[in-house]
Amino acid sequence: MTSRRDFLKVSGAAGAGLVLGLHLEAKPRPGAAAKAEFRPNAYLTVKPDGTVRITVPKTEMGQGVRTALPLAVAEEMDLDWSKIEVVNAQPGPEFKGMQTGGSTSVSSTWTPLRKAGATAREMLKAAAAAQWKVGADQCRTEKGFVVGPGGKKLGFGDLAEAAAKLPVPKDPALKKPADYHLLGKRTPRFDGPAIVTGKAIFGLDVRRPGQRFAAVLRCEVPGGQPKTWDDTRAKAVRGVKAVLKVPTGLAVIADNTWAAFKGREALALTTTWDEGPAKDFNSGALEEKMRAALTGPADEARREGDVDKALAAAAKVLEAEYAFPYQAHATVEPMNTVVQMQAEGAEMWTGSQSPNRAQERAAAALGLKPEQMKVNVALIGGGFGRRLGTDFSTEAAQVAKAAGGGPVQVVWDREDDFRHDLYQPATLHRMRAGLDTSGAISAWAHRIAGPAVLRSWMEGQKSPAQASVEANGALDIPYALPALRVDFAEVEAPPPLGWWRGIEIVPNVFARECFLDEVAHAQGKDPLQLRLDLMGDRGVVKFGREEADIRRLKKVLQVAAEKAGWGRKLPVGHGLGLACHAYDGRTYAAEVAEVSVEKGQLRIHKVTCAVDCGFAVNPAGLEAQVEGGIAFGLSALFSQITWEKGRTVQTGFHDFPVLRLADMPAIETHVVPSSEAPSGMGEPPVPLAIPAVLNAVFAAAGKRIRRLPLGLDSFK
Amino acid sequence: MPSYQLTVNGRVRPVDAEADTPLLWILRDTLGLTGTKFGCGQGVCGSCTVHLDGQAVKSCQRSLKEAAGHAVITVEGLSKDGSHPVQKAWIAEDVAQCGYCQPGMIMTAAALLKRNAHPTDGDIEEAFADHVCRCGTYPRIRKAVKRAAGSVK
Repeated sequence: MTSRRDFLKVSGAAGAGLVLGLHLEAKPRPGAAAKAEFRPNAYLTVKPDGTVRITVPKTEMGQGVRTALPLAVAEEMDLDWSKIEVVNAQPGPEFKGMQTGGSTSVSSTWTPLRKAGATAREMLKAAAAAQWKVGADQCRTEKGFVVGPGGKKLGFGDLAEAAAKLPVPKDPALKKPADYHLLGKRTPRFDGPAIVTGKAIFGLDVRRPGQRFAAVLRCEVPGGQPKTWDDTRAKAVRGVKAVLKVPTGLAVIADNTWAAFKGREALALTTTWDEGPAKDFNSGALEEKMRAALTGPADEARREGDVDKALAAAAKVLEAEYAFPYQAHATVEPMNTVVQMQAEGAEMWTGSQSPNRAQERAAAALGLKPEQMKVNVALIGGGFGRRLGTDFSTEAAQVAKAAGGGPVQVVWDREDDFRHDLYQPATLHRMRAGLDTSGAISAWAHRIAGPAVLRSWMEGQKSPAQASVEANGALDIPYALPALRVDFAEVEAPPPLGWWRGIEIVPNVFARECFLDEVAHAQGKDPLQLRLDLMGDRGVVKFGREEADIRRLKKVLQVAAEKAGWGRKLPVGHGLGLACHAYDGRTYAAEVAEVSVEKGQLRIHKVTCAVDCGFAVNPAGLEAQVEGGIAFGLSALFSQITWEKGRTVQTGFHDFPVLRLADMPAIETHVVPSSEAPSGMGEPPVPLAIPAVLNAVFAAAGKRIRRLPLGLDSFK
Repeated sequence: MPSYQLTVNGRVRPVDAEADTPLLWILRDTLGLTGTKFGCGQGVCGSCTVHLDGQAVKSCQRSLKEAAGHAVITVEGLSKDGSHPVQKAWIAEDVAQCGYCQPGMIMTAAALLKRNAHPTDGDIEEAFADHVCRCGTYPRIRKAVKRAAGSVK
């Protein structure tokens, strides 16, 4: 299986920058004063005052990278956590191909960041040893100091200048986990104090001297263009400076955001549109096409044995159709970017999950070389994959160029954000299972029909790996099945698509885990026992290029079931449901939901989650990701994007419901201890929430729900 | 040009802007107080919550004209140094993920606890009904409000 992770890499991602960052050369900063800083590599700088600045090559969007990644450096260096600064890396020669996605931030930086810290530690020890004329092996590090024989101490800051002149060790030893005093302990979010005082600067909070604000009037139908307009009324709005045609529509430039919005509103009244080729697109017609594709030709993602033969020979065939709608990311901070044109290039401030891609594309749009576009990465007010896209940053560059002069911040409003998202697409799933005369599963067929996210990411090209990427979560089904086929029938549709927290795994695991529950009930078998039986004594199983250790999955399922009290007597109207998955073969998670359905009202009382994500770098952050991942998954029980006349029906939080405080169930997280290398936690909890809840709904009310979102009539 | 006297975080600020400009944009663009966030502009996400005469209000739904002459407190003015009991509880419970919606959450929590020192779960749910946290920090918000209960003067 080729995963999305590979695509994030191929298209210029994760690995490359870190390899470069690992060129562990001592680089004194040009023009530095006598008291030099010590910068043994791209990740850290020891300042003369002892403060250590750690450069994070991943974008913070709430997943805690500005805490978890510095912890790896601080651990190896024995830093005083209260004396660190954290800055975001900038795309450039030291950081190529930065990308924050695929739940890989910790796993891809784990080794390089620890090595960076260990390198600095060894050099600081060597500098102290030279000063004291003792062996480096007689020195140790402790909370920002090198401690030598007799307890003498020198601060890292005092050693910075000398350390910077020493040779860089090639392969410094890394600490053993038993010696960790930061990693594996609960560390609160580094940015917490800045956040609670309103000092944290998100993209939308960037303010440059002379900054102007812009709103772009875009066609409601993605891809459409303004035909005619009269800017008289827009320009009459106080504060509006200009109305300019830009590639994405009409930009209203103003001296404050509100004036830009008001000007745009006035401009909209006089604008006529060429709505383009997507103007008749609607959800109903798409669904008919998808349904036709459930039985037509498809690209095979995985095949084991002869499914058709096994289905034909089956004593009983179960069949069901599952449906998942389009979804929006709905980050609370709308898209935005500041771009400032300069004599020899431009500078950008943006909350991007793909800073290098943002740099390259914005530069290309302005006819600049990437290095002429300096990119500053801001904090992100919710990413969830939306900000892997570069549409909004490129647009801002085009607006700033058209406007000329000083910096311009392009601000999207809530409706812009819903109408011009890069969506998770709708899919239909045709599930079939053959049962033999003993009731055992003899065949499993999962057909997925819908638009391909990967095609959007590949700018309209079909990748050879398309079927396996779109079938992620379906083809890596962890159960032993005698005959198995998973395939993907692409149905092209106009809306632009993107990666959404949990990606295709969400709909695919929803269909897979709910349908397996149907099979269990048809067999008269306990859904937990069926899963355990189907995992049996399987060890490492290969799915194309990926593999998963089924023993680890079985363990988390057992833990979640035990902690949730699977099989216990429940109050009337309550039910338990479960689901499990090995996310990209790296993070193993299982969830058990307890729900009640009374008088047509669904209540989700509790979700118990067990995870094995390898070594837990920061258990506090891990638990937050479980809570947040489950909330994100549960929201998708209720939300959808639908299309009429080429445009979204939904325009805000009023008609795209997301989970609110009162809806949030209790969450209980159990971490299965592991000495494996850390994997990721951002996405793995997301896909299990829906099937766990819907299987619980069946247990509670005998109602099988195969179509999302839940509606008022779902429980009738 | 209409001119207004706005009292923000205890300071009187003269503001020259259109009367119907939402307080949110006066705070963010005119006064540079970017701790108050823009999330929806439709009054349904709560990110822009500030105190107006001690009440939690959505600043995207209050005009400059309506706010003038009243005491506005933003997250920047809740305490000098992050020492407000709600801010301290937020840190203790490690509430924030991305953090974008949190200033609004904190302002609502502070106003709630001032008028109701020991809110029930139902009171908390009601107070936060118009707030969105897409990161799903709700369990910790609930805990943080309870932690700060009784300590907001």
